[in-house]
This record gives sequence, structure tokens and C-alpha cells, in this order.
Amino acid sequence: MSEVFKDKSQRRGHGARGKEATGRTKDSISTVSCIDELAHHDDNARMAITTENTFQLGPNKRMPVPAVTDILKDVLTSYLQEEKYEVEWSQKMTKTICEVIRARVKELMIPRYKIVVLVHIGQLAGQSMQISSRCLWDAANDTFASFSFKNSSLYGVATAYAVYYE
Amino acid sequence: MDEDQTKEETTFVVDEVSKIIKESVEATIGANAYQHSRVNQWTTSVVEQCLSQLSKLGKPFKYIVTCIIMQKNGAGLQTASTCFWDNSTDGSCAVRWENKSMYCIVSVFGLAI
Repeated sequence: MSEVFKDKSQRRGHGARGKEATGRTKDSISTVSCIDELAHHDDNARMAITTENTFQLGPNKRMPVPAVTDILKDVLTSYLQEEKYEVEWSQKMTKTICEVIRARVKELMIPRYKIVVLVHIGQLAGQSMQISSRCLWDAANDTFASFSFKNSSLYGVATAYAVYYE
Repeated sequence: MDEDQTKEETTFVVDEVSKIIKESVEATIGANAYQHSRVNQWTTSVVEQCLSQLSKLGKPFKYIVTCIIMQKNGAGLQTASTCFWDNSTDGSCAVRWENKSMYCIVSVFGLAI
């Protein structure tokens, strides 16, 4: 189980680095990353159980945004506070932070919510950049929390989305 | 046969989505060089175009679309994501695009309702 997870998180992680910009005929290139094999089928036993209808139309408990923001802040500052930007460290760190945040949010035990955690770590080198995000969802039940951290050599941005499903 | 069709209609098809992403990035940024004043407009319109194309697929999904545009000056950037969801229906797709002066990373998450 943990191996499957590790495999997947590696495939999802990706970085941008200005190393291969020379000797290309096209002006722009693009690469795609995604999860290749969908679904690990270890939860088939659970599928077999049929339960009665709940007739529940909305969430009993919504995602507590301040609590999640606190988690993001806590994790980002504790992991990045004293660090200097390095490529390999940063590749590992984005994945680690992602997993820690997801685990901490799961611990809040909010039923009927799916969680997506996105973490970016970048080097501060006088460049400018912009992150923007937009969602097609039910604004009444779905929400997100975001936090950004900056020290003298790097910045980190973490965003957690919580999406209700029935 | 019927079952196959319904499956096709309710799963996240990565190829379809990556095509949408690439098209919107190409259409918005194309061969433009990095201009600070236009980045805001670019990220907004990439995200917006992706979302409108995704919604046209007419699938029972909620979507999260994120776009990062970063100027190329040798600085590094790492991004990663983790999800807690139903692996059999939900899916994600990230496209990294670059030209001479900037990087553009677009990630799309599709969560079945």
C-alpha cells in the first residue's frame, strides 16, 4: 500500500528547471504527467457491502477553513523556516509536505469530503511568477485554504481544496 | 457495450484533458514573450478556457484548475500534489509547457460528484 502510494506521488511530482532550453527546433514544448494506472483494487471487499440510503442531502460538517489554514501554516513554517533552496531537497520536500498536510487534514475527520493538496516550492531569484486557480464546483459546500511562506532563499505555497461528494 | 460507454462518460480521460490544457495555453500565450503586465490576464484566461472546455465535456465532475506562470531566469520551482479521493473515478492531469521566456504549469483535478 505504501509502495503504491510512493510510486504515485513520484509520478505526480514534477519540476521546472532551466536546463534544457538549448538546441530545440520548436519554440515551446509541453509535457504531461498524470496517474497511469487508475485504482488499486484493494477495496473490492468494501464495494460488496450495500448500505441503506441515508437521504442526507448536505454535509453534516463543513470543512473548517481556519483550522486547515493553521495546518498549512504550521507545516510550511516548520519544514521551511531555516532552509536554503536546493533542487533535490526541494523535490523531496514538496512530496513530504504534501503527504503531511493530507494526513493532518484527514485527521480532522470530515466525512464526505475529498481532499486535494497542492504544494509549490520555488527559488527566490528575482523572477516574477503568478499562480492562479479557479474551480467548477458547488460554492456552498466546497472550499479551499491557502498559505504562502517566504524566507530569504525560497518560497513555499500550499493550497488545500475540500470537495464535497455524495 | 453500454457499460463501456457509461464508463467512458463518467471517468476522467487524461488525454482529453491534456489536449484541452495544451490548446488553451497555446491559444493564450502562444509565441508571446514574458511581459509582467500581461501575466495576470494570461493565467486568468488559461484557467478560464480550460474550465469552459471541461464543462463542455458534460461529465459529472467538479473541477479544480491551477495555472502557474513563471519567468525563466534559472530559478527552480517544484510542485507536487496529493489527493484523498476515489481512485476509480477521479483523476488529475498536469501539463508543463515552456517557451523561451517562461514556464507555464497547469494542473487539473477532476472529482466525481
